[in-house]
Amino acid sequence: MASVQDRVIEVTARVLQLDTADIKPEQNFSADLGAESVQSIELVAMFEEEFGIEMDEDAALAVTTVGSAAEFIEGVCKEQGVEV
Amino acid sequence: MATVEARKDHPLVDTTEPNLLEDVFDYDLPPKIRFDGPLVEYIDGQPVEFDPNSAKTRDIFITDTTFRDGQQARPPYTVDQMVHLYDLLAKLGGPNGVIRQTEFFLYTKNDRETLDRCRELGHEFPECTGWIRAVKGDFRLVKEAGLKETGMLTSSSDYHIFNKLKFKSRQECMDSYCEVVDAAFEAGVRPRCHLEDVTRADWDGFVMPFVDRLMRMSEQVPEDQSVKIRICDTMGFGVHYPGVELPRSVPKMIYKLNQECGVPSDRLEWHGHNDFHRVHANGATAWLYGCDALNGTLFGFGERCGNPPVEGAIIEYISLKEDLCGIQTELITEIANYMRSIDFPIPDNYPLVGKHFNTTRAGIHAGGLRNDERIYNIFDTTKLLNRPPRVALTDKSGADGVAHWVNEFFGLKGSDRISKIKVHKVARWVMDQYEKEGRMTAISDEELEAKVQELMPAYWEKYKESPVHA
Repeated sequence: MASVQDRVIEVTARVLQLDTADIKPEQNFSADLGAESVQSIELVAMFEEEFGIEMDEDAALAVTTVGSAAEFIEGVCKEQGVEV
Repeated sequence: MATVEARKDHPLVDTTEPNLLEDVFDYDLPPKIRFDGPLVEYIDGQPVEFDPNSAKTRDIFITDTTFRDGQQARPPYTVDQMVHLYDLLAKLGGPNGVIRQTEFFLYTKNDRETLDRCRELGHEFPECTGWIRAVKGDFRLVKEAGLKETGMLTSSSDYHIFNKLKFKSRQECMDSYCEVVDAAFEAGVRPRCHLEDVTRADWDGFVMPFVDRLMRMSEQVPEDQSVKIRICDTMGFGVHYPGVELPRSVPKMIYKLNQECGVPSDRLEWHGHNDFHRVHANGATAWLYGCDALNGTLFGFGERCGNPPVEGAIIEYISLKEDLCGIQTELITEIANYMRSIDFPIPDNYPLVGKHFNTTRAGIHAGGLRNDERIYNIFDTTKLLNRPPRVALTDKSGADGVAHWVNEFFGLKGSDRISKIKVHKVARWVMDQYEKEGRMTAISDEELEAKVQELMPAYWEKYKESPVHA
């Protein structure tokens, strides 16, 4: 199974219409990858769908980088008993 | 200019709990108006103090001229329409008669039928009064209608006295007006002298001598027949802020009539026009300086740029009194809806009743609304006006705006409210309308309803029985 980070990068690439090769864990979704306001919402929604989890809206939107998103999602999956 | 002497230090008062100033901004009421000192006006070179807190204890009130001045600026109302509006005005003002009087033309058969049918409703308030020219012949109409009080036009500026009414002198004019006042007294009717164009009149030369004479005449009759004075800012020249000269100063006009001419506050009435955007401020100022009655029309509709809006005066009244005083504020919305149904135009951004008076478009504001409705809503408009705050969706609305709209549409409260994450598909559709389709207009409620049904089917199925439509 692909890692959480790989799956986060896949979803990010799909939503922001980028190449996965161009997405790095240290990159900021908005400053580096150009995610606009609605796209940030879409990213959270797609992460929820991808991993089958429910994230706290404010906490999820406070996450700024690809790498920290992967960590955050791992934590939520663990809390909600989702195998990753 | 700031001076060194006036400079003070202002240390931060830190806190971890918000101070929402709820003693003034009680969301259940229009915000209260509090005074922290007297009003001072220099009159004839001397400082004169006025206590604005007197407005909180005096019997200030509103009078209406929707069916007179309000009707001069539009096609005539039908009799049925006027009777219905009169009924709604009575309910709005409540049992304490905050809307104390209204006035009617008396010239036509329809005028008389309207007056009779309004009186048949049996409301104590607003009391029906008449409106006539200062002509003895017109006074017959008042007597025939059985009215206790009538307004009569006693124009006060030389523009009117000489150029309109063609009097040869001010004396001739004053004598003519006073003849009709005498006729009123003989018939047992209280005359209400409308000092038309008084904000462009010679106060020392005509206005005050005329009012002095009216007060002397009033000494000969019972108090309930004594002359009332309506101060008519016919062209909107009145100015409310301190330090202005007569004939434009609202404070000075009220003082001169109330104190120097001895007209009691309960016999003074302010009537304004909005040619310079001052109409509401001037009216409220008149209350503060000792004039008990503020005369207005529904939604300010009247001659040219209109009159003091009655609904604005209602909210100002509550703010000053810090209490609803029996006023049924939700009638403001009912009256506006009725007016729209009879093709009365109310601009979308008109305060308190416009379609979008409490609609926010910016996404950042919608986000604030979601966190605490009070942030971008003036008071509890749902409770007081039956108008929940709305969000209109444009390219500036963002997901916050969409989420607010969806939650209001489904009528969801508290923990049932849907997060902005769940509305992402509708938010994307809204954004694409502008960024991809080049749309220039706001998105209608009907379009959004269709999109919610299409893109959020599970929520639609769950909540479709309870959508709330504004």
